Amino acid sequence: MPFDPSLAWDSLPRMLFGLANTVGITALTLVLGLAMAIPVTLARMSPRRIFRLPAAWFVMFFRGTPALILMYLVYYGLAQLPSIHDGPLWPIFANAFACAVIGLALNHASYLVEILRGGLEAVPAGLVEASAALGISPRQTYQWVRLPLAMRYALKAYQNEVIGFTKGTAVVGVITVVDLTATANEVFERTYDPVTPMLTAAVLYWCLINLMRIGFEFADRRLNRHLAAEEQRRRKPVAASLQPALARWTGLAAPNTERAL
Amino acid sequence: MLISASEAGYFQQLARGAVITMELAVSGYILALIGGAVVGLVTLLPNRAIQAVWRVYASIVMGVPSLLVIFLFYYGGGTLLGGIIDITPFEAGLTALVVVYTVYVAELVRGAMRNVPRGQFEATAALAIRPVGAWLHVIMPQVVRLALPGLVNIWMIVLKDTALVSLAGLNDLVSHAKTAAGATKEPFIFFIAAALFFVVFSAVTLRFSARLEARFGRGLAVAKA
Amino acid sequence: MSGTAPLPAIMIAGLDKFYGGFHALKHIDLEVRRGEKIVVCGPSGSGKSTLIRCINRLEPHDSGRIVVNGIDVNDASSNIQDVRREVGMVFQSFNLFPHLTILENCMLAPRLALGMKKAEAERLAQRFLDRVHIGEQAAKFPAQLSGGQQQRVAIARALCMEPRIMLFDEPTSSLDPEMIKEVLEVMEELADDGMTMICVTHEMGFARRVASRCVFMDQGEIVEIAEAAAFFEAPRSDRLRAFLSQILH
Ligand SMILES: Nc1ncnc2c1ncn2[C@@H]1O[C@H](COP(=O)(O)OP(=O)(O)OP(=O)(O)O)[C@@H](O)[C@H]1O
Ligand SMILES: [Mg+2]
Repeated sequence: MPFDPSLAWDSLPRMLFGLANTVGITALTLVLGLAMAIPVTLARMSPRRIFRLPAAWFVMFFRGTPALILMYLVYYGLAQLPSIHDGPLWPIFANAFACAVIGLALNHASYLVEILRGGLEAVPAGLVEASAALGISPRQTYQWVRLPLAMRYALKAYQNEVIGFTKGTAVVGVITVVDLTATANEVFERTYDPVTPMLTAAVLYWCLINLMRIGFEFADRRLNRHLAAEEQRRRKPVAASLQPALARWTGLAAPNTERAL
Repeated sequence: MLISASEAGYFQQLARGAVITMELAVSGYILALIGGAVVGLVTLLPNRAIQAVWRVYASIVMGVPSLLVIFLFYYGGGTLLGGIIDITPFEAGLTALVVVYTVYVAELVRGAMRNVPRGQFEATAALAIRPVGAWLHVIMPQVVRLALPGLVNIWMIVLKDTALVSLAGLNDLVSHAKTAAGATKEPFIFFIAAALFFVVFSAVTLRFSARLEARFGRGLAVAKA
Repeated sequence: MSGTAPLPAIMIAGLDKFYGGFHALKHIDLEVRRGEKIVVCGPSGSGKSTLIRCINRLEPHDSGRIVVNGIDVNDASSNIQDVRREVGMVFQSFNLFPHLTILENCMLAPRLALGMKKAEAERLAQRFLDRVHIGEQAAKFPAQLSGGQQQRVAIARALCMEPRIMLFDEPTSSLDPEMIKEVLEVMEELADDGMTMICVTHEMGFARRVASRCVFMDQGEIVEIAEAAAFFEAPRSDRLRAFLSQILH
């Protein structure tokens, strides 16, 4: 029994509800992750070790740990600690949805720190100097030269990370949050048809991911329009020239290669 | 926090699970590397049909969570194969990881190939170096260098994605950690232990990759300065 | 500021600069009068860039004094900002802000450092872009211009702060020969207008035409200072003679 269209149609409302949860978790994680990442990035780039080291540990731990384990850790692990269980924040940590967002945001933030740092460090020192030489203050230089350029440099990496963690939200089902993947699982358990709900979910994920991609590309065109002209000059000849060269070199297909080697 | 005798037993199980996790990660990564290299090169051929099929396929695989792919292969694998054989969690997980990450590796290889300057191909030709020699000594080293950071990145993602296969019933590190957490009512310590395993491995990877990049990047620093 | 001895534009006395243990500038003394054009040359690594970067404190110096238009160049951040408003700088690598249009590049400092209104800054920027003969390109981004055009924009950008002194660090060294001329012409026009200038350059034709005095540096020291004619025709030190014979073939 391959794909069953009528089951797909019947389960669509539930699936869309699951999708809405996935989108909600993604959006909240995006915001919370950024809020966490900014202070950690500043600490990570600080010249003082007391700030830099803990920030580096934060990044190493939350970047290296799979999101699945972070879910367990935040939802089950923290509940075991008396300071959490009896503390004022318990209502938050007792809530699976909140735990999912916190766990994912920690993971996302740790990636974001490295992305932001990479972008900031990629800004050529000469531009910062040129700004200083014009009498622009360090703070204004940061705001109007360094940060805008860092954002542009980091956009591609940021896109990859956001799309990556959006797909990663599929793990939240393990702590009882009913997202799109969990909904597909529920439908499977009810109908014993694994293929239809999984494929339906896959289609919805694909739509979501590609909508995000289109959004990013739009932002990229806006932010990086200053590069458009240069890009055109650089890219075209190389890409166009490669394919015949490649065919020649692989020797697999040599359609119209007159040049002998 | 003292570790009791029974907890020590659970840690042994964790260690056995860690071995399975590593087996899955390493075999999945190696197969994806091989598959990705082949697919990457084949899809660069100037053939419209290959290009079109590749674009659609890559977009689908890259647009779907790997957890869903794992579920699809695990629950749907038997069905899709005609219901004759049962697929084990390890096989399902391995297949899913290879299917997904072959695409990522292939995209990386394609990007790296495109960024080898055209002059390099022409220079080897002009020097009358044979294709095999040129590939081995000129093109491949540059492709590897360009792709290396991405390949390291993919390894870290594959390693972390193996954790997901525990949700398809694989008795790996994560699943043992979960069992131990439930049985001892000490979830914090076991999940931290599992997390540290992955953290240590990614830290080691970063160390190692910095060295590799330095090796493959020889001569690059001079050019930049 | 009137009086018998007018205030010099730049006064450098006993300047020392170290990079770690490396003595990059050794006890430099130099006085630049208002309206003077100084050309600095010397072999690579002799400290030419370091010297002019100390003047607007892109590099902090270790001892000695630098006074620019009566302002002491020291740690006080208000002094640093004041000096940088008086002194414009043009770099070898242009350093235009790539995310801003040509016009915006020129408007940024007047708006941020002088608090100028947008419309006013725009008029000002357009005026200086016209002055370096690139006004029609105002809406383009730097990446869309040639090197020579970019460098002229960089000059206009500095002029928008209406500085009294301009520093040039090898402004034509990364340009193709046919673009060098257009940049030097703009610099000569600036010189004719009476701007006080310090130019690090190896363009000897420019030096002969424009320089009031030429400075030769080697190994962190000023070896020789002379008027252009004497500098080229009758160098006193062996080191300068050797240097000139190298660059003039
Ligand atoms: N940031 C720095 N750290 C350490 N040493 C430096 C630094 N900047 C310059 N130096 C050293 O100081 C010396 C003078 O450098 P400077 O850039 O002023 O030379 P220059 O005369 O401008 O040379 P060039 O013609 O190559 O531009 C050089 O030996 C250089 O290596
Ligand atoms: Mg220099």
